[in-house]
Amino acid sequence: MNLSAWTEIAPHIPVLLRGILVNIELLLGLISLGLGVGVVTALVEVYGPRPLGWAAGAYTWFFRGVPEIVLLFLFYFGLSQFGVPVSAFFAAVLALGLRSSAYQAQIFRGALQSIPHGQMMAARALGLGRVKAIAYVILPQALRLSLAGWSNEFSSVLKDTTLAWGIGVVEVMRQASYIRARNFTLTLPIYITVALMFLVLTYVGNVAIGLAERRLRVPGLEGRR
Amino acid sequence: MKNVGVALLIAVLLAGGVAAAQPKYVVLSDIAWAPFEWVSEKGAYLGFDLDVMRAIAILEGFEIEIRDTPFDSIIPAIIAGRGDIGASGFTITDERALVVSFSEAYWNSNQAVVVRAGSGLDLEKIVSPGRILGAQRGTTGSFWIEDEWVPLGVTLVEYETYPEAILDLLAGRIDAVVQDVDPSKMAVLQYKGQIEIAAIVDTGEQFGFLVAKGDPKGILPKIESGVAELKRTGAWDLLIEAYFGPALGAIEAAWEKCIPILLVERDPLRYAQCLVAELKP
Repeated sequence: MNLSAWTEIAPHIPVLLRGILVNIELLLGLISLGLGVGVVTALVEVYGPRPLGWAAGAYTWFFRGVPEIVLLFLFYFGLSQFGVPVSAFFAAVLALGLRSSAYQAQIFRGALQSIPHGQMMAARALGLGRVKAIAYVILPQALRLSLAGWSNEFSSVLKDTTLAWGIGVVEVMRQASYIRARNFTLTLPIYITVALMFLVLTYVGNVAIGLAERRLRVPGLEGRR
Repeated sequence: MKNVGVALLIAVLLAGGVAAAQPKYVVLSDIAWAPFEWVSEKGAYLGFDLDVMRAIAILEGFEIEIRDTPFDSIIPAIIAGRGDIGASGFTITDERALVVSFSEAYWNSNQAVVVRAGSGLDLEKIVSPGRILGAQRGTTGSFWIEDEWVPLGVTLVEYETYPEAILDLLAGRIDAVVQDVDPSKMAVLQYKGQIEIAAIVDTGEQFGFLVAKGDPKGILPKIESGVAELKRTGAWDLLIEAYFGPALGAIEAAWEKCIPILLVERDPLRYAQCLVAELKP
């Protein structure tokens, strides 16, 4: 690898940016799906009736236990066997999103269980119903507490989006292989560029989550200033 | 009377619909294997396989949608009904023929053994105990090394992609890379003076297009008659001349200029003539 390789990369940057845009779309889709399903799963696991709690446990066990690439194949090829021809993009969002929901559920479960039980009793004593107590008292605190762990999940799934090429979603790694296929000599510089893009995205994302954490902090609650 | 009119109207609409709606087939290809299929700098899908598919579709009256798919996933996708035709330089093998149906062979491809320039290695020295050879996983190159040369004391290292194998060759971690002749020539062209083809091994390998097992949609006869027509008019040989030899950048420029003749005027022969004329020095 020499200096000229780096100048040769410049015209390919827009192509790579177009690719990483797809990764960002995948990320937004999967992380919001994971957030919604994850919160519900955690609530069911902690507060739901026993059988539902078991079902939620089985759900997280499955989606945490099966390799991502296998999930991608199951959703993309599997659903079409049942006459549901999902697009590769949608299958990727579903597979990676549901998988992420299982991990997120564990983050939220931990946070929910860390809220002292006295708060629930106090809320009930004030006349709030169980559901309202969870919605207005427990959950807002738990979600705040989850942010640190959640930033971990964010960084992790951001990079998982590159797996979507396995079922044919043309994202940044695929764009990189297009460039590489016609310029073998650029192989290393291209991947270093992709690495830099992900480093920037992870940094920006975590800074944003950090800001949110600070904004949403309830003074005195987290036991630090 | 009114009912008859409605029935007539429906019949006309149906007939019109059938005549206008050509069957549409999804063509799956791993579009990162020049010159058979690759993505141009401007993002267009081109290459020998893909242009042949486009030309056959025009000649045989069907529509195609080309979808970029990882090589390893193409056959599973066809089995799962996520695609109709595999056009990606597939070697016809007994193993694959168990699960999909192949067209007649359209290409003979042997394997090239690529070494570092000036290494002084010939086939005899390469195929000797202690040598380390690289190939892309799942390709004929890797099968060939495994079956023919590993018993002679050679070690096989497999790579996810061909360019990675070449990088390791340049880094000195392996002694040679085995890959199809045409992509190998492309690699030598790109790494001018750094690598060279030491030998070509006649593996008798043939490429075919593939469809679902038993060809339930009746696509293979169309492909075969399309190929025959391309050969009869001479367009086939012109496409070979255009795609196998010139530099990729030059092919891309010619393709961009000529492709409307194929896609808009729907004339495969004039298209192939245009490509070759554009590529003449």
